[in-house]
Amino acid sequence: MSDHSHELPFWKKYIFSVDHKVIGIQYTVTALLFLAFGFGLMLVMRYQLAYPNQPLPGVFASVLSEPVVGEVTVNEATGETGKVLTGDGYNAFGAMHGTIMVFLAIVPLAVGGFGNFVLPLQCGAPDMAFPRLNMASYWTYLCGGILMLFGFFVKGGAANSGWTSYPPLSLIATTGQTIWLLGMVILITSSLLGSVNFIVTAVQLRVQGLSFFRLPFFVWAQLVTSFLLLLAFPPLEAAGLLQLMDRVAGTSFFDPGGLIISGVERNSAGGGSPLLWQHLFWFLAHPEVYVLILPGLGIIAEVIANNTRKPLWGYKSLVYSAIFLGFMSFIVWAHHMYLTGMGTTLSTFFQATTMIISVPSVIILTCLVISLWGARIRFNTPMLFALSFLPMFAIGGLTGLPLGLTASDIHLHDTYYVIGHFHYVVAPGTIFAMFAGVYYWYPKASGRMMNEWLGRIHWFGSFVFINAVFMPFFFLGMAGVLRRQFDQTETLHGAAVQGLTVMATWGAIGLALAQIPFVINFFWSMFAGQRVGANPWKATTLEWTAPSPPPHGNFDAVPVVARGPYEYSVPGESEDFSMQATA
Amino acid sequence: MSATVIPYDVKPHPLTGMYNGKFGIWLFLASEIMLFGALFSTYVLLRVGAPEGTWPIAGSPTTRGDNILQVPLAALNTAFLITSSVTMVLAWANLKMGSFKKGQQFLLVTVLLAGAFLVVKYFEYNSKLHHYAVTFNEHFDRDGVESKSFKGLTQAGTEKTIHYLWGHVEETKKDADGAIQSYLFMPDHDTSHGGEGHEPKAVEIHPAEIARMTTFGPGGSSFLGCYFVITGLHGLHIVGGIVVMLWFLLTGSKMWKTQPDKYANRIECTGLYWHFVDLVWIFLFPVLYLL
Amino acid sequence: MELLAQAADFGTYGKWMPPNLSVRGGAIDQLIEILHYFMAVLFVGWGIFFVYCLVRFRSGKGGSAQYHPVKGKASKYAEVGVAIFEAVLLLGFSMPVWGEYKNDPPPADKRVEVRAIGEQFQWNFHYPGPDGKFGRTNAKFIDNVSNTIGLDPDDPNGKDDIQTIGALHLPVGRPIYVRITSKDVIHSFAIPTMRVKQDAIPGMEVPVWFQIKEGATTANLLKSKSMNEDFDTAKTNWYRVRHLVASKDYADKSGQIILAEGAGIGLSRDAGEKKLKQLREAGIDSINMHPENPLEVICAQLCGNSHFKMKAQLYTYDDAGFEAWKKSTVPEVIEEF
Repeated sequence: MSDHSHELPFWKKYIFSVDHKVIGIQYTVTALLFLAFGFGLMLVMRYQLAYPNQPLPGVFASVLSEPVVGEVTVNEATGETGKVLTGDGYNAFGAMHGTIMVFLAIVPLAVGGFGNFVLPLQCGAPDMAFPRLNMASYWTYLCGGILMLFGFFVKGGAANSGWTSYPPLSLIATTGQTIWLLGMVILITSSLLGSVNFIVTAVQLRVQGLSFFRLPFFVWAQLVTSFLLLLAFPPLEAAGLLQLMDRVAGTSFFDPGGLIISGVERNSAGGGSPLLWQHLFWFLAHPEVYVLILPGLGIIAEVIANNTRKPLWGYKSLVYSAIFLGFMSFIVWAHHMYLTGMGTTLSTFFQATTMIISVPSVIILTCLVISLWGARIRFNTPMLFALSFLPMFAIGGLTGLPLGLTASDIHLHDTYYVIGHFHYVVAPGTIFAMFAGVYYWYPKASGRMMNEWLGRIHWFGSFVFINAVFMPFFFLGMAGVLRRQFDQTETLHGAAVQGLTVMATWGAIGLALAQIPFVINFFWSMFAGQRVGANPWKATTLEWTAPSPPPHGNFDAVPVVARGPYEYSVPGESEDFSMQATA
Repeated sequence: MSATVIPYDVKPHPLTGMYNGKFGIWLFLASEIMLFGALFSTYVLLRVGAPEGTWPIAGSPTTRGDNILQVPLAALNTAFLITSSVTMVLAWANLKMGSFKKGQQFLLVTVLLAGAFLVVKYFEYNSKLHHYAVTFNEHFDRDGVESKSFKGLTQAGTEKTIHYLWGHVEETKKDADGAIQSYLFMPDHDTSHGGEGHEPKAVEIHPAEIARMTTFGPGGSSFLGCYFVITGLHGLHIVGGIVVMLWFLLTGSKMWKTQPDKYANRIECTGLYWHFVDLVWIFLFPVLYLL
Repeated sequence: MELLAQAADFGTYGKWMPPNLSVRGGAIDQLIEILHYFMAVLFVGWGIFFVYCLVRFRSGKGGSAQYHPVKGKASKYAEVGVAIFEAVLLLGFSMPVWGEYKNDPPPADKRVEVRAIGEQFQWNFHYPGPDGKFGRTNAKFIDNVSNTIGLDPDDPNGKDDIQTIGALHLPVGRPIYVRITSKDVIHSFAIPTMRVKQDAIPGMEVPVWFQIKEGATTANLLKSKSMNEDFDTAKTNWYRVRHLVASKDYADKSGQIILAEGAGIGLSRDAGEKKLKQLREAGIDSINMHPENPLEVICAQLCGNSHFKMKAQLYTYDDAGFEAWKKSTVPEVIEEF
């Protein structure tokens, strides 16, 4: 089998590949680039927030141009000028930061990257069920991503109505919004292709002996995620289509009619509903939260089981909780809309479901932390990321409580508290899980280890600075500072806590610097990392049975599974790990 | 092609009873249900929220879609699609029984019926896109042609009177710079109020008198927006089906020679998709045209 | 001076939450406080267990991990406990407060009613005038300077109506009923100090109601201790004090006044930094300042490129003051910025 793959020309093997591992790596690298880009947008915004209307530092000023930045006089005496972010530029960066991070970085990294690379291996499959569909999914994603970026170059700049694109604001926005909608439709198509593939693979391609309850938790997490993508994304696709029609075909799905835009009545038939968009959008976007977090939890479970050298505590509870989370995530969406004028009946329902959905999350976190009891914890880089994930994810989860209850939401709604809450879930949460995953599976993908000390420096810097960025957000939110504000010092309560914003900005700069060791490590280890065999971490799941890196077709012989996924330190065994595959 | 052999590519999996492709297409259809479900929900929400008298378009006597849509054409289309579902099944059944030629023939009939559906749809769309609704700034009365009026409430509860006429633009007069000077407008027979027994006659309308002029296209009303988006998306699904079937008609023999089972499976999957597309129409027809 | 002591209790900007000046806002603050204690207890308890595990079960200690899972119900009890406490928070705290905010509007004859109409990028307010009836509005009457809400000049109910732009005048101690809508995009009517926030959605009119605490008039607040803050001229920057004015005169050694009572530090950053430098050079190391106007209405929903600047001043009066303000307005239109 492996001989055969050598006959493929380079472009077929590495560019237009149908091999799930190559596609997984393509997804990972592309998504990491988008992650860096989205982070860059954020740095520019943070600079403006900390130092409102002051010229951007040279590195940003040189690459940015109209309409994102405008020229201002820095020094009246000398006539020296500098470039300052504009209100539209800030809004465009904000909208694109959100869109890129969610749809172009985290989901493709978590699902497209890790899911693609690891899931078939953990199922003992030779590839995904539909390899060519898999390739189509990646290329569709790339096209959608490039189209999104193209938005920056159209007249008026990229979409600037927030990543939520609430109409009517988005209906009267510049061309960038149309590009955004087209990009979203393409990205959603890519996700659908991917999720069908994942589900079929996980259900049909499990090798002999690998019953559902012997699947690693990671596979379960991907399976639930895929169902969420499959069922939650189409309504957004429909909504995107409707908004597109509103913008280009003169319909009025989200336009109630009689809007006076800058003194001129908007020409439309009216009769639409701005809230309809919010319902359709959040019907996707709440399950999307679990799409962002579940694969991360899957990675954390793998890394923790491996480095505690003992079975995961409550494996079945974890699985049931993930499934329950998936179901519940479809009926909590309106908790994003408490302040649209919702009455008591509806709000009670959505508050109740929101409280209920917190229970499985608590169970998952409890299972993971109780797994530490009686362990023999190895503190390597993936484990450090996984362990620091736990408390930060807990902060993210807990701070959801005041937002989920309508009464406290009145004060905290649309403030930095919200930003802090979901960033703690996704940034110190999912992104830390992604880093854990990169360090954990790098030897499998490349056949070489990443450098441990560079990894630890990377972890330490990231851990310190990511908290420096996001912890102030809770205090800013308490003080009532709103999100999506170009300059918070325009308000009394905002000006009073400007210092916290400055702190967060310096945290972000530190966080950027802390990624340097990772970048060096990533490329350096590709050529100079220590070579390893099939199972460097002494792990149990099926991917560690295949050679590192696995050839096209994955396994030398089709594995047969004899036991559960986390049989570590089984009494009476000579080694402290018993692999799933026999022989 | 690669040497990798994917399990259950052709044979059904013991747990699900389906080969990979069939399972995949069912999942895809599940997502399609969510897609059309969201659009149907949009339709329901907008209809429920529409101020009285504005559905399907301001001034309609009832809220039924057939005020402005042609039911006979849609009924004909329904017949086309239902028949095509039958021929699709026959195509698959013949392939399963080993008769490639008959199978391909039925597939061709399916494609032709789908094409006929699109032709009818074209005529429906076309007549809508050339039918105009004009809303006037105030009551209009010229050369014996009077505007109708309709008193409605906006969503915010303010009262609003709409003066309107439906009809066709016969001619658009422009000045030397290309700016529109007037329209020669032929009102519909039933809205012209030209008096009993008189032939409706065209009237000149100036842009300054017009509050809003729109075709019965997507921008005409919320209902028409729903109509065009849902039937348009459905039409795209038909086009997609035609492309896939044509592909199999042109290239099927090659696969049939080496992997007849796999080919029959592919037609089965296409069929599942096709039945779904028909089913959507079976919902669309009563919802948009009859209710 | 009696009032000064009373007003001092209303709190200050920049410390935890903004001052709460509404009668019901306290319930929200209380819920937020309880929630954070609850979260802290959970997090600390969980954290202690976590850190203990990390230390006790580190691999350096040798030995092997335990295969057999811990048997114990502690985690179950903890989970059930969390669920029950959440139910208590929901049923006992959140729902009653929300119900009060939503279900129980003050009677029409007792409340002060005002319409708030959002537009890019200003708040327009519409008072019914002495007859208590709002005049009809229609888009065709809108004039961007004199009639931003499109009040119908032919409607007798509208003859005595009052319009303001960017300034909301309200009495303390009486129920306030605000009907919120928008002319263009979605805005959100928010007054942080009143713990009020409601989206302004075009095509809909949604009411909110609240009551301002007795004594919390603008005049009292300006005199209150909590609003009058000392700033170290060497440490503070212009952003921090840009909306503040001096509480008394500041003069250099020669007696020349550098910063007069009631004067701001400067409208632009350049001017502000210069003024601060001037104060430092004159040997003034501390200045006492208070907000030019302590209360603001803001927009809490992204509404375009100047969203961050969309705000209105809120002026509060006792009954006599409110009546005086109403009398001072000419019946047609008043403008304030």
